Amino acid sequence: MKTKYMNPYLAGVLLGLVLLSAFYFSGRGLGASGAVKSVVVTAVETVASDHASNSEYYSKYTGEGKNPLNSWLVYEILGVIVGGFLSGALAGRLKLKVEHSPKITSNKRLMLAGIGGILFGFGSQLGRGCTSGSALTGMAVLSLAGFVTMMAIFGTAFALAYFFRKNWI
Amino acid sequence: MIEEVIVSGRSNPEIDPFLHVWGWEIPFYLFIGGLVAGILFFSALFTIRGKEEEFPTAVKLAPMMTPILLGLGLFSLLLDLSHKLYFWQLYTNIRWESPMSWGAWTLMIIYPLTIIWSAIWLKDVFPKWDWKFQWIDEGLEIIRHYKKALAWSLMILSIILGMYTGILLSAFNARPFWNTAILGPLFLTSGLSAGAALIMLMSKASKEKRLFARIDLMLIGTELFLIIHLFMGFLAGTNVHIEAAKLFLGGEFTISFWIFVVFGGLIFPAILEILELQKVKIPHYISAMLVLFGSLALRFIVVDAGQASRWLY
Repeated sequence: MKTKYMNPYLAGVLLGLVLLSAFYFSGRGLGASGAVKSVVVTAVETVASDHASNSEYYSKYTGEGKNPLNSWLVYEILGVIVGGFLSGALAGRLKLKVEHSPKITSNKRLMLAGIGGILFGFGSQLGRGCTSGSALTGMAVLSLAGFVTMMAIFGTAFALAYFFRKNWI
Repeated sequence: MIEEVIVSGRSNPEIDPFLHVWGWEIPFYLFIGGLVAGILFFSALFTIRGKEEEFPTAVKLAPMMTPILLGLGLFSLLLDLSHKLYFWQLYTNIRWESPMSWGAWTLMIIYPLTIIWSAIWLKDVFPKWDWKFQWIDEGLEIIRHYKKALAWSLMILSIILGMYTGILLSAFNARPFWNTAILGPLFLTSGLSAGAALIMLMSKASKEKRLFARIDLMLIGTELFLIIHLFMGFLAGTNVHIEAAKLFLGGEFTISFWIFVVFGGLIFPAILEILELQKVKIPHYISAMLVLFGSLALRFIVVDAGQASRWLY
């Protein structure tokens, strides 16, 4: 079965234009992990508001009259979900399934994805941003940290891919 | 000695700076009222056109929900009352100039009709159903002969019900955001659209689903038109009306209204419905759920925003 995906080079250029238009329309760059962070902060504040106000990390985003969910990144990610849904529908790929290599099971794929996601979440908070917020947006404004993040993320992935390639090919 | 006594409703608690006497009960009821009006309208319409067999979900199945839904809505209205035991006093008079009176009497007539309307279709939907009493069967058989007349009265009453949920708010001239004649038609259209969405959600026949997707698209178009005119009217009005509109144009309701009602509840489901009609494979329940959610959100935001808008700044 042939799935319809866009040419990655073309998609990359389009992503750059999306970033440019984000700067133009909202004055902010793109981000992804920030939206997840907002959701986590809101959840922590709801179930343990004392802990949230005492913690140095959470208290930056909470407090009187502040709603962490009311941020540009949260709405941007809602838009990403809508856009992803439409693009999947147009390409005829709208189906609930786990994509994985035929050599591994769905459970293994989900478990590895979960572990990878947790590591990436930690990393993005230590590095103050993920691939979108720090690397992509950072490089667009010529921030040195953006270039370092990009090299660190993709360099590490490239170096370690050899050990994990069996899960994919 | 000169004594001056200033009597004003504004000095009552919960009036200034914002009115906050209406919680979730009223918007929830307004949503249910609109939804029931929408379901009954389409059921009656397709009965009058003689298409009971062609569109069974719209005509027979969906109206089965209306007595239950309306019961829930009326229960939430009762919860909102401070003096619950005096609700019957609404039925001691008829006041033509009061939307509350119109609503109370419409509900009084429409509620038993929804039960009768569901009952005459019950055996079509559940063939094994047994009424136990011969006289019920016989009575329903007699009513079946007059079902077109019943459908006509249901259609008219459903329009009144859908419209009054909006008029109820626009009659409050002390709240500038509610004080616009567009709320009546807007809530009616939104209720019809929610009814069409629920029928789409319940229907198993693709012909029926496609018809209601088309109907819903037209209603969404009408709703967008009404929303634009709502704001045009406010912005061309007095300063308090401009202030009221500003709650949505940069103020505290901007994001919730434009993102969740206009985009998430109207434009995005409309795009999905257009794609579905073009035979793109999209689960139809997604657009239907979004329309229902948008319709519910519209009631909550309009009720909240109306309470926040005021005359004196």
